[in-house]
Amino acid sequence: MRSRRHTEEIGESGIDLAPMLDFVMNLLIFFIITTSFVREAGIVVSRPLAATAEHEESGNILIAVTAGGDIWMDRRQVDLREVRTNIERLHAERPDDTVVVVADKAARAGLIGEVMDEVQLGGIKQVAIGAASEGD
Amino acid sequence: MRMRRHFHEEESGAIDLAPMLDFVMNLLIFFIITAVFTKELGLTVNRAGASGGESSGETSSVLVTVRGSGEIWIEDRIVDVRAVRANIERLHVQKPEAGVLLVADKDAEAGVLVQVIDQVREGGVQNISFAGTR
Repeated sequence: MRSRRHTEEIGESGIDLAPMLDFVMNLLIFFIITTSFVREAGIVVSRPLAATAEHEESGNILIAVTAGGDIWMDRRQVDLREVRTNIERLHAERPDDTVVVVADKAARAGLIGEVMDEVQLGGIKQVAIGAASEGD
Repeated sequence: MRMRRHFHEEESGAIDLAPMLDFVMNLLIFFIITAVFTKELGLTVNRAGASGGESSGETSSVLVTVRGSGEIWIEDRIVDVRAVRANIERLHVQKPEAGVLLVADKDAEAGVLVQVIDQVREGGVQNISFAGTR
């Protein structure tokens, strides 16, 4: 039944899949290029609100600082002294990535400063402080 | 069944693209699912006095201090967090090229700090350096 209809349409078996394949390949390449592999911190903190917060284009490394003074990055809790070596490793893997330090509302400013220092010693100069926009 | 399809293929001369298409479709679905389009929201600040970083030799920057108790000082006056923006706007008009040096006590809360950074940016100064008291 099915093959007979094809025979009538194009005179041989099978639909020409090439244009569809071209289209799908283009989609695939688009998604491969636009995919950004964000290094999640691995913990949820309540971010402070800020009206002037901007989207960090390549802010792919997240470091969370909790109210209790814990530091989380790459889904693990790390010591302050480990931040530098971790950043050095991640910086070597993807040199374009920048860091967003996501601090809890009740985190201490001193610790945030120390984390930012360690990040800069690790080789990434551009550091942002994470915030949430008032919309969300 | 298999033999017949093979025979049929050779007869028509075309390659069967369906298995390749299946594979590519699977890849496509994988990338669609794992794609993350959300960009992180953040406030970019410079780090002043970082050990290893260069210190900005600007002497004309406006000093904003956040105390551990939550008090905010601009130059030598205590101001409310809601008054930060107006003060910065005024000082920005007086010294348009001056940046803001933000000094925070070790025990200052990050929430207050971000509020102050936000207000300073709304006041028109984008060049913010963050320093801690040592």
